[in-house]
Amino acid sequence: MSRSVILETRGLSKAFGGLVALDKVDLSIDTTKITAVIGPNGAGKTTLFNLITGVYPASSGEIYFQGRLLNNVPAHKRASLGIVRTFQHVHLFGNMTVLENVMSGQHPRSSYGFLEAALRLSKARREEEAISLNAIKYLNLVGLGTYTDHDALSLPLGQQKLLAIARALATEPRLILLDEPGAGLNTLEKRQLSDLIRSIKEMEITVLLVEHDMPLVMGIAEWVIVLDSGQKIAEGTAAQIQKNPKVIAAYLGEEVE
Amino acid sequence: MLRRLKSNWSYLAITALFVVLILVPFHWFLGQYTTLMIFIGIYTIVTVGLCLLMGYTGQVSLGQAAFFGTGAYISAILSTTYGFNPWLAMLVAAVATGAFAYIIGYPIFRLKGNYLAMATLGLGLIMWIVFKQLNQFFGEPDGISGIPYLSIGGFVFNSSFRRYFLVWFFCLAVLLISQNIVRSRTGRALRAIHGSESAAESIGINVDQFKVKILVLSAVYASMAGSLFAHHLRYVGAQTFDFMASVKLVVMAVIGGLASVWGAIFGAGATHILSDELLLRFGDWDVIIYGLILVLVMIFMPEGLFVRLKDILERLRLRYRRRGAEP
Repeated sequence: MSRSVILETRGLSKAFGGLVALDKVDLSIDTTKITAVIGPNGAGKTTLFNLITGVYPASSGEIYFQGRLLNNVPAHKRASLGIVRTFQHVHLFGNMTVLENVMSGQHPRSSYGFLEAALRLSKARREEEAISLNAIKYLNLVGLGTYTDHDALSLPLGQQKLLAIARALATEPRLILLDEPGAGLNTLEKRQLSDLIRSIKEMEITVLLVEHDMPLVMGIAEWVIVLDSGQKIAEGTAAQIQKNPKVIAAYLGEEVE
Repeated sequence: MLRRLKSNWSYLAITALFVVLILVPFHWFLGQYTTLMIFIGIYTIVTVGLCLLMGYTGQVSLGQAAFFGTGAYISAILSTTYGFNPWLAMLVAAVATGAFAYIIGYPIFRLKGNYLAMATLGLGLIMWIVFKQLNQFFGEPDGISGIPYLSIGGFVFNSSFRRYFLVWFFCLAVLLISQNIVRSRTGRALRAIHGSESAAESIGINVDQFKVKILVLSAVYASMAGSLFAHHLRYVGAQTFDFMASVKLVVMAVIGGLASVWGAIFGAGATHILSDELLLRFGDWDVIIYGLILVLVMIFMPEGLFVRLKDILERLRLRYRRRGAEP
């Protein structure tokens, strides 16, 4: 395995009863590139994300993260290894403020527990200070620094999506998986999102995204993987993918040979 | 700036509460309510645990009286039949109840929502039957009596006046500890689980483990309250820990505001006064009143009566201040 591969899957499959959602997929995700996974509805994109983040176990095949076998690592431990995701349906914590949402993202980077919290020991106070400073830093990064005390769900959808990214970044990941970050955003918000994704790359965090919005994908993705009916049918640069007859067939529903 | 002002106000409110609480048992103040306030203090301790479990973490418990009763019965049996020092009995009860919650925690939290509610309800019923059986072995048919008072050295808590301070010492300690937990990394993890379990897991929160830990904490609170109850009345009976007791505890938590630590005093107080002073003449029909209260509060003020009153006061204060600022 070369050093520039952050995530690799070998023969990764997932079946739900008789339905094969992902069928022997081999991927290697380059550490330094923004990679997009595209494909028609039901292609297995979200299943792929769920397997990488451990929402459910793979039926067969392996997942390696920085050379380490991930299959038996429980979902909550993957965040401390450096894998984090956002959700298509945002999944913010509606019972918290904007700042608290991001502070909760610092969970795997802090360690004090019930006892230190209950008695407000110095370890708790010290960590709490660092947690809120870091959270403000990530809020500023996504441009929400002035909304700290607002209820998370009082923000418009575009800002909620940015907040979800800030919360994910607060876990200080090596790899961030964005599930349809552009869905529901207007043109201006999409441009801001593209800029944000590029600045995440500059923080030396690998970005892997699932996205339906082709102009967005073609604008930022340096490598594109195409799934269809659970199988990988093509990968390459955006320009190569646009000319690939299999990809065109998958999207337009044509029969190939 | 606003935040600092707000926190100054809450310190003031808490200080005022402390002063009032200290004065209550003196006969020239509210002395005739000392016994009532002892029960309110005991129920507040259980309610705070339920708020952490239900309000903050979002996990329903319709069987909290099981832990309350376990604490009371272990204290009662150990300090009567086995002659344990009451403090030691209380400690053993808290550890045992916590261990009990830990053991049932992992299997019970495989369930969610209504199914979790049913399972905890079942737990409450089972433990109620266990308590009735324990009466046969260790006491009279109705309960266990002759439980000794708690004491420190030669100082015996043998009057309501003394026990009032004992109970409220524990109660305020539990409230402060709970408030600290809520405003911490742990508290955020609990609220995150309530907000979205999948998102909580994705940012590295061990959802199952936190659920079990908060169940254990709430069980330990309930057990402590149960022990205080046993050593206050010197008598425990199974009917104190039946299904209706669990329902009353939920009503207390809901009225106080599920996601409000200090509201627990208000919720426990209002519900206890209602059940012991006002609803007695309704006999078995009181169930209907509790149901009605739960439904109305959940529909019209899901954040709880206490939180709603606090909001109204806050708004009045802001309006008053604004008027004061404009000459």
